[in-house]
Amino acid sequence: MGPDLALLTPEIAVLLTAIAALIAEMLRRPRISLVVAVIGLLVATGLTLRLVGTDTTVFGGSFRVDTLSTWAKLILLPATVLSMLLARVDVCGSAREGTVYSLLCFATFGALVLAGAGDTMFLVLGTLLTGLATFALVAYPDTDPATEAAMKFFVFASVTTAVMIFGLSYWFGASGSTLLADLPGMDTMPMAVILGFVAVVVGLGYKASLVPFHFWAPDAYEGAPLSIAAYLSVVPKVGALFALTQVVRELPADSGWTAVIAGLAVLSMTYGYLAALVQDNVIRLLAYSSIAQSGYFLLGIVAVGSSELALPSIILFAAAYAAMNLGAFAVTAATGRTLSGFGGLGRARPLMGIAMVIFLLSLVGIPPLAGFVGKFMLFAAAIDVQFTWLAVVAIVNSVLSLAVYLRIIVPMYRRGESASAATDPSHGIVVITAFAATLIIGLAAQLFIV
Amino acid sequence: MLPLVSLTLFLPLAGAVLILCLPKPAARTVHSIAIASAALTLVGALAMWLQGVSGQGFSQVEELEWMPSIGAAYRVGVDGISLPLVLLSAVLFLVALIYASSLRDRPRAYVALVLLLETTAIGTFTALDGILFYVFFEVSLVSMYFMIAGWGHEDRQRAALMFFIYTLLGSLPLLLAILGLYLGSPEPSFDMRAWIADPPLQGAAAMWALIAMLITFAVKIPAVPLHTWLPAAHVQAPTVGSVILAGIMLKFGTYGLVRFALQMAPEAFRDAGVVVLVFGVVSALYGAFAALAQTDLKRLVAYTSVNHMGYVIVGVAVAALTLDPSVRATALDGAVLQMFSHGLVTGALFLLVGMIQERAHTREMGEFGGLLKTVPLLGWSFVLAAFASLGLPGLAHFPAEFQIFLATLGTTPIAVAVILGIAIIAGTFLKALRETFLGESRQRWNRMPDLSLREILAVAPLLVLTVATGVAPSWVLDIIHRTTSALVL
Repeated sequence: MGPDLALLTPEIAVLLTAIAALIAEMLRRPRISLVVAVIGLLVATGLTLRLVGTDTTVFGGSFRVDTLSTWAKLILLPATVLSMLLARVDVCGSAREGTVYSLLCFATFGALVLAGAGDTMFLVLGTLLTGLATFALVAYPDTDPATEAAMKFFVFASVTTAVMIFGLSYWFGASGSTLLADLPGMDTMPMAVILGFVAVVVGLGYKASLVPFHFWAPDAYEGAPLSIAAYLSVVPKVGALFALTQVVRELPADSGWTAVIAGLAVLSMTYGYLAALVQDNVIRLLAYSSIAQSGYFLLGIVAVGSSELALPSIILFAAAYAAMNLGAFAVTAATGRTLSGFGGLGRARPLMGIAMVIFLLSLVGIPPLAGFVGKFMLFAAAIDVQFTWLAVVAIVNSVLSLAVYLRIIVPMYRRGESASAATDPSHGIVVITAFAATLIIGLAAQLFIV
Repeated sequence: MLPLVSLTLFLPLAGAVLILCLPKPAARTVHSIAIASAALTLVGALAMWLQGVSGQGFSQVEELEWMPSIGAAYRVGVDGISLPLVLLSAVLFLVALIYASSLRDRPRAYVALVLLLETTAIGTFTALDGILFYVFFEVSLVSMYFMIAGWGHEDRQRAALMFFIYTLLGSLPLLLAILGLYLGSPEPSFDMRAWIADPPLQGAAAMWALIAMLITFAVKIPAVPLHTWLPAAHVQAPTVGSVILAGIMLKFGTYGLVRFALQMAPEAFRDAGVVVLVFGVVSALYGAFAALAQTDLKRLVAYTSVNHMGYVIVGVAVAALTLDPSVRATALDGAVLQMFSHGLVTGALFLLVGMIQERAHTREMGEFGGLLKTVPLLGWSFVLAAFASLGLPGLAHFPAEFQIFLATLGTTPIAVAVILGIAIIAGTFLKALRETFLGESRQRWNRMPDLSLREILAVAPLLVLTVATGVAPSWVLDIIHRTTSALVL
C-alpha cells in the first residue's frame, strides 16, 4: 500500500487541492481559492516530473502509472491552470466563484483517473467524476442558455455512460474480471469483445466528442462560459482519448476494433470540418474543429499495439492540441464570440493577431509548429500499420481545415475595421504561455517522444 | 571553421527578427536593415560558392541533433544542383529588397515576410533532412500567402486563398512520400543522403511515392494541368511577390523533381519517365501558346514560366530515361542551368513589368506604344530580358535549353517537338515588344519617367548575370557538372 500511494502523490495532491479550494470558498475567500488551486496543480505537476519513465501499476493492476498517465498529468495539469486563469475573467466577482476552481480540480482529477485506467471500473469512475463536475461548470452562469446546455450535456452523458456500463458487463462476463489486462483472455468470444468495445467507444466517444457522439459539444460550448468551453475541449477530451488508448492496448489485434476506430476517425475529421465551415459563431466553429481534431487522435490510437510510433504520437499531439486550442480560445475570449469580432484584430492588436495566426496554422498542421509535428507523427503511426488510406483522408481534411481556419484569419487583416479586444492580464498570460508552448513543442518535439 | 551554410540560411531570419523587435522604426531604417541582411546573405552565398562542391555527394555539410529518437536532425549542405540555386536566391532577394525599398505601406511586416521567405528558400535548397525540407517548403507557402493577401492587387484575397489551398493540397502528398521513405528505410532516419545513396522503396511502393512526389512538384513547378493557380496568383501578387514566386518558388518544384523524384525513386522514375516527359512537352507547348494569347504583360510573363519550366521537366525526364551517364549529365546540366537562368531572366522581367505598372497603372499591352522612345533605359532593359527569355544565343537561357534539346535528341528524338515552343515564345515576345515599346509613342505616356537609381540597382545585376551566364556559362556549369557527372542512379 505504501509504495502504491507514493506513486499516486500527484493525484492525491490534485484531490487535496480541490478540497482546499472548496474550503477557501466556504470561508468566502475566492481569491485564496484560486491561488490555492493554481499552486496545488503546479505542485502536482512538479510531483509528476519524478515519475517520468515509471511503468508500473498500483492497486493490483487497476490503475496504471505509465508513460501515458504520467504525460496526461504533465499536459492536463498545466492546461487546467490556464483554463482556470481564463475562468477567473468569466466568473470574477460572481457568487460561489471559488466552486468553479474547485470543480475544475475535481474534473481534472476525473480525467487523470481516465488516463491511467487499468480497470473497467476506473473508466466508469473517471467518466462520472469528470461528468458531474463539468455539468455543474456548464450550468454555472445560471442563465437560460447555460442551463439548457447543461441539461443536454447531462442527458447525453447519462445515456452514453449507461450504454458503456452495459457493454462493460459483457466484458466482465466474458473475461471474469474487470481488469483491462485480462481482456486478451476473451479471445474465444469475438462477439463479446466487439460488443463491449463498441459500448466503450460510445461512453468515451461522447467525452472525446467523436462523431456520432458529438451532438452535445457545440451546444454545451456555446452555452457555457467561454473558459469552460476551452476546458471541455481539452482536458476531459484528452483524458477520454488516453483512456481509449489504455483499452485498445489490451484488445486482440484481429478483433476488428481498428476498423471501428478508423471509421470514427474519418467521420469525426470530415464531419467536424464540414460543419465548422458554415459556422458564424467562433465558439461553435472551434467546437466543430475540436471534434475534427479528436478524429486525428484516432490515427494514433489505430496503431496502438502494432507500431512503436503510436504512443509518442498520441502524447505529442495531445500536448500540441492542448497548447494551440487553449491559445485559440484565449484569443477568442478577448475578442468576442462572433467572426465579425475578429475584423481588423491583426491591425489593431498585432501581437495578439500573430498569436492567433500561429494557433490556427498550428491547428491546420503547418510546420514548424506544434500541430505539425503532432500530426506528422500520427500520420507516420497510421502508415506504419498499413492504414495509409486513413492518412490520406486525414491529409485531405487538413486542407479542408485550412479553409475553416482562414475564415478567422482573413477578416483579421481586413482594412478599415478595428476589433475592440478586451484586455485582461489573464488573457495575456494564457495567450503568451500557449504561444510559447506551440512554438517549443514544434521545435523541441524530442522532449515529448518517449 | 564558420558554419557557412547555417549562417547564410539564418541571416535573413535574424534580420527579420531584428526588424520586428525594433520599437516603431522609420521606414528607411527598416529597409536599410533588410537590404543589409540580404547583402550579408549574398556574401555568405558567395563564400559558399568559393568553397565549391566535391563531385561526390554533398559538401559543406552541417549537422545538429534534433529528434534523435525518430532519426530527424538538422542537416544542411549543398551539391552542384543546389549551390547555384542558393546563389540565385541570395541575388534575387537582394534585388527584390532594393526594388521594394520605396514601399511605405506597413514596410515592417512586408520586409520581414520577404526575409522569412529568403530563409525558407535557402533552407529548401540546402536541407538534407526530410522533415527539415518539408518545414521550409511549407513555411514558404504561408509567407507567400500573407504577402499576396496583404499587399496584392484588387482581387488579392481570392487569389491568395486559391494559392494557399491549392499548394497546400499539392504539398501534402509529399508528406506521405517522406513518411513512406522513412518507414521503408532499413534504419529509421530522415537523412536524405541515405535515401539518395540507397533508395529505400522498391516496386509498387516506390511508384506510389513517386506519384505523390510528382503531384506535389507538378503543382509547384507548375506543370499543366496543375498550373491554374499560377496566373491568378501572379496577377494579384505585388511585384516582389511575383519575382520571388517565379524566380525562386517555382524552382522548389523542379529542384524537388531532381532531388526527391529522380534521386530517391530512380527506378520508378525510369518506368514513368515517358509520362513525365509527355507532361513536360505539353507544359512547354501549352505555356507558349497561352503566353501568345495574353494581352496583359504580367500574365504573359507568367505563362512563359510554364513554358520554361516545361523544358526543365523534359530535361529531368530525359535524365531518368537515358542509360548513358554522359547524356544524363548533359540533360541535368541543362535542367539545372535552366532553373538558374529562368530565375535571373524572369526575375528581371517581372521587375520591369512592375515598374511599368507603377508608372502607368495598367499592364495591357494595347494601351502602350513607343515606350522605347519615352523610357529608353526601361525599354532596352526589357528588350534584353525578353531576348534572353526567348533563348537568344549569348544570353542565359540559350546554353541551358541547348543542352536539354541535345540530350533529348539523343534519347527520345520525337520529344524534340518541344523545340517548337521556342518559336512560339519568340513570336510572343516580339509581338509584346512591338505593341509596347515600338511604333508611335502615345501622348499620355510622354511624361513617363525613366528608371530611377533604385530601379537600375535592382535590374542591372540581373541583366549583367544574364549576359555573363549566356556568354560564359562555364562559371556556373562547372559547379553543376561536377555533381551531375558523378551522379549514380
